[in-house]
Amino acid sequence: MKDQFSPDHIEMVEEFCQEIRDLLDELEPVIVDMGKGCGAEGQQEDISDDINGIFRLFHSIKGAAGFLNFPNIATASHSAENLLDLIRTGAMSLQPDHIDLFCQGCDFIREGIEHVCEHYEDEGLSTQSQVIRDRFLAAIEVDPQEAPEEQGPAVIDLDLDPASLISPEMSKNFVSESQDILQTMETALLNWLKDKGNQDLHGDVFRQIHSFKGNCGFLGFADLESLSHHLETAIDLARSGGAADPAKIADMALNLIDIYRETLADIGEGGPGKIEGLSIYLDMINDQLPPQDRVAQDVAGQEPDRLGDILVEQGAATKAEVDVGVAQQSRQLGAILVESGAVSHDQVDRALETQKERKKKKAGAGKVKATKRQDLRVDLGKLDQLIDLIGELVIAENMVVNSPDLEEMELDHFQKSSQHLGKIVRDLQEMAMTLRMIPVSGLFRRMIRLVHDLSRKSGKKVELILSGEETEVDKTVIETITDPLVHLLRNSMDHGIEPQDVRLEAGKESAGIIRLSAVHEEGNVKISIEDDGGGLPRDKILAKAREKGILQDAADMPDSEIYKLIFAPGFSTAAEITDVSGRGVGMDVVRQNINKVNGSIDIKSRAGQGTTVDLRIPLTLAIIEGMLVRCGISRYIIPIINIMESFRPNPGMITVGPDGQEVVKVRENLLPVVRLHDLHNVAPDNHELEKGILIVLEARGSNFCLLVDELLGQQQTVIKGLSDYVSSFGNAGGVSGCTIMGNGEVCLILDVQSVLDRLNEGGY
Amino acid sequence: MAELARDLDLDDDLYDDEDTQKDKYLTFHVNGEDYGIDIAFVTEIIGIQKITEVPDMPIFIKGVINLRGKVIPVMDVRLRFNMEERAYDERTCIIVVDIDGTAVGLVVDEVREVADIPEAQVEPPPQTGKGQSSRYLKGMGKLGDEVKILLNAEKLLYDEELEKLEALEEA
Repeated sequence: MKDQFSPDHIEMVEEFCQEIRDLLDELEPVIVDMGKGCGAEGQQEDISDDINGIFRLFHSIKGAAGFLNFPNIATASHSAENLLDLIRTGAMSLQPDHIDLFCQGCDFIREGIEHVCEHYEDEGLSTQSQVIRDRFLAAIEVDPQEAPEEQGPAVIDLDLDPASLISPEMSKNFVSESQDILQTMETALLNWLKDKGNQDLHGDVFRQIHSFKGNCGFLGFADLESLSHHLETAIDLARSGGAADPAKIADMALNLIDIYRETLADIGEGGPGKIEGLSIYLDMINDQLPPQDRVAQDVAGQEPDRLGDILVEQGAATKAEVDVGVAQQSRQLGAILVESGAVSHDQVDRALETQKERKKKKAGAGKVKATKRQDLRVDLGKLDQLIDLIGELVIAENMVVNSPDLEEMELDHFQKSSQHLGKIVRDLQEMAMTLRMIPVSGLFRRMIRLVHDLSRKSGKKVELILSGEETEVDKTVIETITDPLVHLLRNSMDHGIEPQDVRLEAGKESAGIIRLSAVHEEGNVKISIEDDGGGLPRDKILAKAREKGILQDAADMPDSEIYKLIFAPGFSTAAEITDVSGRGVGMDVVRQNINKVNGSIDIKSRAGQGTTVDLRIPLTLAIIEGMLVRCGISRYIIPIINIMESFRPNPGMITVGPDGQEVVKVRENLLPVVRLHDLHNVAPDNHELEKGILIVLEARGSNFCLLVDELLGQQQTVIKGLSDYVSSFGNAGGVSGCTIMGNGEVCLILDVQSVLDRLNEGGY
Repeated sequence: MAELARDLDLDDDLYDDEDTQKDKYLTFHVNGEDYGIDIAFVTEIIGIQKITEVPDMPIFIKGVINLRGKVIPVMDVRLRFNMEERAYDERTCIIVVDIDGTAVGLVVDEVREVADIPEAQVEPPPQTGKGQSSRYLKGMGKLGDEVKILLNAEKLLYDEELEKLEALEEA
């Protein structure tokens, strides 16, 4: 399938998809938000910005889809645009149904984009597109009858200037995109100049000018559009060979590119995008064309749906036409062209001169150039490679600095430079880590839509309150918590928040509240989902657990442990299975995904007051600050974050219980002792606690002591997985991964949490 | 010996060309017998190095090693076959195999050579029911007067049923 399309086309489609996805992500929350206000009096005014935003979205999708020849997507967006237009102009008031409809429209476009990404055409979407179109049409036809009564005074300016619809963001994007297009076109032109007979090269040039024209037109830069349109016509004719001299046209096009660039620069600084002396340029182009094409092409070119492929076909047709015309009058034409060509060349130079002077004047007037923020889209694969490499660099740096060859040598200069190197490497590492960090806002905002849909479906009114959206986490963390969040929110909606009548009876507001928040906490990000619903039914969970045989004796089980039962696979207290939840799969997914990233889940719940689920996930999955310890001949890394303190105990601090469990008194606390050598079955230097070092470790609020032989020092640790093959034999006890040491040996990283878990289970 | 092993004809051409790999086996010694493993799975041979033990693993998983920045698990073939453990010496080698992207090191007593054993010379494994180790076999390859025991690399790594059996016996 892919082979039928040129790489350029494919790239364009991919860019299109990416852009639209971003737009959708941005706008879906706006749509939902807008829905909250609808129906109430006087709301129309407040939503006009939103409506315009949504209108722009559908409009740009329509334009881009039309250009890339995705008629189904284009027509569907067109119908959405129609409805929006009616709402925007006040001919119709916004109904809750419309919000759903727009959401459906967004869904369709999302689907469409996935489809297009794979197939590069949208033929498979025609039925869906039809359905969406029909719905929009129905909405447009039904409403006028109800609308007049509800409709407030027409608030929105009927003759909105299209330019006012363009956000600075859009024109910024336009400028940078157009600069790329011009760059490509310039290269293509130069290539074409070298090989004028080459249809592919010509096609390249043509596509670029065409998309440039499209963009200009969409954003309402009339001067740029009309100039591009003329140039496009000229280039099209140049292909046929006889009608116009390709060399001249290409020359002219190169000059015009400079004009475009200056105009774009003007737009970038907030200018109106007018071209000085437009008519001169237009005449200049027209001079290059045979008379019969000047007018005719002008009209034909107005048709908006000129597309790459169709144009190639059309080109072929024109070629035949033109050939005939040329055969009749080629002699005359040649003469005219030479003459007019010479003239226009001068004109161009003169025009350029004027333009430059004007620019200088502007600069002289002391206009401060707006600082440009430049973004670069990078393939995630490349970024990962870079981060991997930096990981290797950290290891290599450790290897060099801690090389056994250097041991016990006095190397002042080396020490200094290696410290310098170390600092740079660490800065580099930190920088690389931040590259992958993205704010959770995108993820959170997607949840707005989810809650909206669920609330429509279940009939429960729910308000979703977001906080900490700017919190940044690693991209992979975002990916792993997306599903868990969806399931947790569904759970809150379905089981947590009570139906309205129950809520009112309990003296609560009729609308439930779900708070979704993110915050940095030590080396973790904590994501909380808090609802003010009925709380977890402790007894029901216990009963169900007994029934399922997951649990026999629950007499002394703390509540938090009981609540964790809901994460067991297949566990559900729901009496019936709804399409939202009830199969007992969701919570299992949550648990598995969170475990996968070494995260933890805590549940707090109070009957009648609501439930809070806290997810704690490591900020980054790649590097930790670790303490290297030794036990016998084995070395281990303990995450610094778990270490509270370390000390060599004296005999008075130690008490041995009847079951052999040693307990150490640290100030006022009694802490159990775990011997690392027992844990991992290695021979220690000595067995007496007094001769070793005790490290006080903390994990989620509980403390214990770990006996090791020696502390070797603190270091940055690049976490490596223990190979999937190893995991296939089950979890390695008390180990979360491994790292490669300066001497090339593999060193295990202790998982303090799981050591503590085992301690609590009485495993040691 | 390790150096010799590294010099074995395992250059890149051999990997790329399916045909040249056909019927070729890397042969090695374990407990006095000659074994062979399909060369398509073998990525390299390295000398024995320090293995970091990983707790809670089956006895035949000796631990993990650092292979140029990648951490790969190491399996002792002797222990996989329930043979007696033997101290590693300078002849002990680790054969690194790659099965569907999973790299695993196999500790063997000694690496021999690359042998060409056409399919016609491979007999099915004996069905004696004595012991479970024959499950890992692909067949018996005849090479002149010698017999090479040809291993099924996938089963060697992934035959979980056997682990369950072992677990039962232990219990």
